[in-house]
Parts: sequence; C-alpha cells; structure tokens
Amino acid sequence: GGLCLHQENEAKSEGRAELIPSIKLRHCCLLRNQRCVTAYLYDRLLRIRALRWEYGSVLPANVRFHMCAEELQWFSQYKKSLASFMRSLGGDEGLDITQDMKPPKSLYIEVRCLKDHGEFEIDDGTVILLKKNSQHFLPRWKCELLIRQGVLEHVVS
Amino acid sequence: MFIADIRKDFYEVVANQRVVLLVAPDIDALCACKILQALFHCDQIQYTLVPVTGWQDLGTAFLEHKEQFRYFVLINCGANVDLLEMLQPDDDSIFFICDTHRPVDVVNVYNDTQIKLLIKQDDDLGVPSYDDIFRDEDEEGEDSGNESDEGSEPSGKRRRFDEGAVERRIERQRAKREWEARRREILFDYEQYEYHGTSAAMMFFELAWVLTKDTKDMLWWAIIGLTDQWVHDKITNMKYVTDIATMQRHVSRHSHRNEDEENSLSIDCMRISFEYDLRLTLYQHWSLYESICNSCYTSCSFKLWTLNGQKKLQEFLADMGLPLKQVRQKFNSMDMSIKENLRDVIEESSNKYGMKDIRIQTFGVHFGFKNRFLASDMVHATAALLESAEKDDSETDTFIKALDALSRSNIDRLHSGIELAKKKLIAIQQTVASCICTNLILSQGPFLYCYLMEGTPDVKLFSKPMALTLLCKYLLKAFVLSTRNKRCKLLPLVMAAPKDVEKGTVIVVGIPPESETSDKKNFFGRAFEKAAESTSSRTLHDHFDTSTNNAENRFLDGKLFLKFPERERCE
Repeated sequence: GGLCLHQENEAKSEGRAELIPSIKLRHCCLLRNQRCVTAYLYDRLLRIRALRWEYGSVLPANVRFHMCAEELQWFSQYKKSLASFMRSLGGDEGLDITQDMKPPKSLYIEVRCLKDHGEFEIDDGTVILLKKNSQHFLPRWKCELLIRQGVLEHVVS
Repeated sequence: MFIADIRKDFYEVVANQRVVLLVAPDIDALCACKILQALFHCDQIQYTLVPVTGWQDLGTAFLEHKEQFRYFVLINCGANVDLLEMLQPDDDSIFFICDTHRPVDVVNVYNDTQIKLLIKQDDDLGVPSYDDIFRDEDEEGEDSGNESDEGSEPSGKRRRFDEGAVERRIERQRAKREWEARRREILFDYEQYEYHGTSAAMMFFELAWVLTKDTKDMLWWAIIGLTDQWVHDKITNMKYVTDIATMQRHVSRHSHRNEDEENSLSIDCMRISFEYDLRLTLYQHWSLYESICNSCYTSCSFKLWTLNGQKKLQEFLADMGLPLKQVRQKFNSMDMSIKENLRDVIEESSNKYGMKDIRIQTFGVHFGFKNRFLASDMVHATAALLESAEKDDSETDTFIKALDALSRSNIDRLHSGIELAKKKLIAIQQTVASCICTNLILSQGPFLYCYLMEGTPDVKLFSKPMALTLLCKYLLKAFVLSTRNKRCKLLPLVMAAPKDVEKGTVIVVGIPPESETSDKKNFFGRAFEKAAESTSSRTLHDHFDTSTNNAENRFLDGKLFLKFPERERCE
C-alpha cells in the first residue's frame, strides 16, 4: 500500500492492473471497519434502550457520564415515544407497562433493607424509615424500583 | 391491661393499620416473629420489622418510628418495665406486648389505654391487687374542709372538735404509712425474682389457630419457641411437659391423615412427629461419640473432664455393644442395625449409670429424604447463628441470618448454623473442663464467682448473653458434681467475661443455685442493681433479661458487695 488516491486513479486509468488487488483489499478493510463501528454503535443503542426499562426515566449520573450528547438525545426521544405509547393504552389513564415485568405472585411483598436509605414515602403519605436490616411488608409496585437499585432485597420465605 | 380476646382486641385492631414489630434477640422471639409475619402476609397487613438488642435500641427504634406509626408490637421485651415512663409516648401510641419476661410491671398491668398485654392470665402471674399499690389521693382533702367549717363554731366547742380533727389526721397519716409500708413489701415480693412465662411463639400460634390460619410451618415454629425455653433453662420441667402436651394436641390435629398405600403424602411434605428422643445435643448431625462428649447432661453425669470419667464412657459404650469405630462415625453413616434400637439400648444402659432422664419429650420434623431435624437441633443452630462472633456482622446482621434459617427454604443456612453450634458446644465443654481443672471458680461468700480472662480460648463466643448463660449453667452443674464442699453446692454462680476490650466493659450473668426442683426464678436483677450502686460504676442494664448485665471492669471489684435481699436467706 502507501499509494495516494491520485496515483491510484492514475494506476487504474493507465492500466497498471497489478495495483487493483491492493485497492480492493484496502477497500474491503475499510468497509469492514465501518461495519464493526456501526455494529458497536447499534449495540450501544440497544443497551441504552434497555436502560429505560431498568432504571426508569431518570438515569443515574454515572450512567449518563458514559453517554455522548447524541445518545442522550436519542434516549429522551425514546422515552417520549414510549410514554406516548403507554398513554395510548388502557383507556384514559394509560398503562405503565414498565411495571410488573414478571407476573407478580402477590400484591404485597416482604423486602429487607440492604443499606441505610433514609425515609421513603408510600402511596397514602406514610413515610417508612429504611434502615439497614429492617424488614418491611409493602405494596409490590412501590418496591420494584428500589429493588432494582439494590437498596431493598425481596425476601422469599 | 391484659387482652381478653386476642382476635378481637389485637388482630382486628391492627388489621387495616401499619404496625412496627420490635423483636428481641432470642429464639422464641424469632419464632413468634415468623408466625406473626406469616399471618400478616396472609391478610396483607403492612408492617416494619426492627430487631432490637436492648433497651437503648428499643428507645431509638421507637423514636424513629413514632411519627409515622401508631401501633407497636413488642415481642419478648417491654413487659417487665414501666414502658410508658421509659418511652414517653404520645397519647395515641398503642403498644401490644407479647413478652415472656416476668414479673409484668404493675403499671403495664393497670394501664387501660395504651398498654395491651398479649399474655395469658392463668400464667402464674401473682399480680398485686390494684388497691394494694395505687391509692386515690382525694382522701386527703376531706378533713381540711371539715376543719374550716368547724372554725365557725364557738371557741369552747372548737377545741374539742380540733382535738378530734387532729386525732383523725394522725390516724390517717399512720394508716397511710402502714399502707405504704405494706405496698413496699408487696412490690418487693412481687418484683424480686425474674422468671419466664408461656412462650411468645405459642401465644401467636394460638392466635393463628383461633383465626384457623395455622399451618404446619407455624406449628413447627411454635414448637421451636417452646424448646428454646427448655434449652436455655427458662421454664420449669413441669411447665415444659404441660406445654408439650398442648403442642402434641396440635400436632395430632395436623398429622391426622388416612395414609395408606394409595393415598400417601409426598415425601417432600412436611411432617411433624412427637419423639421421645435422646437428650444428646445434635446427635443426628454429628457422631454419637461427639454428641455424648459435648452434651451437658452426659458430660456432667460421667464427669468427662476427669480420666475416670473417660474410662466410664468407654465402659458405657462397651456395655451397649457399640464398637468405637461405629460410634465415632457420622451418625448417618452408622450401621442400620445399630441405629434401629438405639434409643432403647441407650436408655437401658443409661439407667445403669445413673442417668435416669436420658430421654426427653420433644418433636421432630422431616421433609424430603435428607432433612430431619429435632426441635432442639433447630434451637441450637439458630442460637449459634444469632450470636455468631463474625467480625463483620453487626447484631442486626446475625438477627437476619438467624431469622432466615427458620425458613424451610434456607436449609443451607440452617446447616451452617448446626456447624457453628457444634463449635460452640465444644468450646463450652472445653471451657468447663479447664475452669474445673484449674479451680477458676472461687467462693465469694454468698455466691460462687468465675471470671474468664482475655486470652481464654473462644472467649469471644462468651461475650454474648445466651452463650455465656449456657456456659454458666453447665459450669455450675459440673462444679456441683465435682466439689466436695457441701456448702458450695447450694450457692448461686456469677460469671463475667470481657465484652469489649477497647471500652473496658464486661458482661456479667448470674444464675440461681443448682437444684433438682428449681423454680427457675432468678434474683440477680435486684442484686446487680444494688452492687452497681455501691461501687458507683456504670452498668448498662441494657439486656432485656435482668440477670445479664454489661458493666465497666470496675464493677467486678464490687462483686464483694453483691448482697442478696434478705428474704433469699431462708433457702
């Protein structure tokens, strides 16, 4: 290799056919690199989409740190898209399909607090103090997010 | 006040409310907690569970939750102190107390509004009557009113009336002093001994039964709670046997199934059975030999810390025709032919060696092919987990681990508990042997005293109250059998071990003298208080058991001041 574009064109048009295989090889390499990069970016996209399902609509700072501006923009558009889809389901109120990802066995679950998390408000305004090693019996939907974040642990008896 | 109908006055009251469960660190409390949690899960009663290891924890937990919760359920804590005085709650906080500690504080008994006791009233309570301890103060006002009336009379008559009024006043004051003296005496008699009532786990099981929501798991937990009281010597033999009979009725009810060839239950189902089994701790999970060596009953009967005792053990085994090789193997690997009649064979030989009570009434559970446990196995395993001395584990961490071990889905945790229990038992026996052989038990006048120094092997294990208490009891039994001093055999024992080396604190327990017919009443609560006063050292009466105390090292210098209130002298 090492030929510049001009020389390559000259080689082609002037019949220096012995350069063609090198040209073809280089071109294939470039195309392959392009495919790799595209695959990588697409994989990132799929993971960012999965983040919406795992973390909810607000991403933690340490995750946002690893995303570029375009990706953040894509994420917020995906969020909007998902939100308008969810609103269109289930009549007036919409349906939050990011909850209960696995079929729930019960309305209330027992959770154990793995680290001190302070106060936590539940539906009717009551505040529960989440202290390490305390256990609580709470409505499932309130706990899901904290379980995913690793603050609470579902205790199965 | 005592609750009359546990369903109406407790369960239905909390049914639509949020509750805080404050649970003490003993196995009976853990079992009671599991039963109550299962009931709450059934009826979707939201709760928060907070383990509390002592009075300070209890106070802190109360302060943290009092804004948000109105109903508090206390398990195995709170009955033996004036709870309202200690916690200073708002008027709308309600406390449901299910506690085995006795005597129940009189204020708790007679409070009508905020304290609800989940305790059976036929439980040998002996509560003084209301009039003997509480007195209405408005009797004082009467005569001063009369006196001012009489002031308007002519002076001649006035003197006579005044004399009459003065006499009446003197008489009243005398009566009041007498009443107060009697009151002091009554309260003193009532509060001098600490003892334990019916298991909390059994109380909650009864609640489950009344609601017809009782399951085999709950029954098993109730049995473990009762067995905990027996293992840790909290109830008399008679009470244990009576309560076993109660549980046996429930077991029969749950096991009543027409099982035959076609309709047999799956092997994985849980079966609870009554067992008249050997008093050899953990023997089915150990080797028979090790169990005999490390169970208090056999170890003390043979006096295994002496050479003679070891020889007697060998004779005993030979007498039963059990080859040493078999007996040292894991129990499950012993020959079937030996295991078949083992209990009867051992009972027969034990009688010859003076061990009349080698068998004890208890229950066993089995589910699946491999999982067989006796109630006492469960107690020892969970107690070992609860008090394990791992560096990283806080007391609430161990509480959670022990609580988990009670669920049938956590067999691994239970097995690790069994291993820890074995180590603990071996440590206890070795410490007992070394204390006896090196004469570490000193006679200090009215009591025996033993101090485990820093650097004693396994001393960290004994910085925990249940382990130290168990050691104390085994040690006293062993001592009584090995001493020739008749007077010493009747003395109580006080033991101390270092608790926190950096802070210079020790843990002290006291147990009453060893006797066949012990009523399990402990007078050390009062004695420790008095001793602390005399040495002006700080003691943290933090434990819910008044016979266990944390104190500064200085307290031990004051042990000579341990005087027991006069009344005990007539033992």
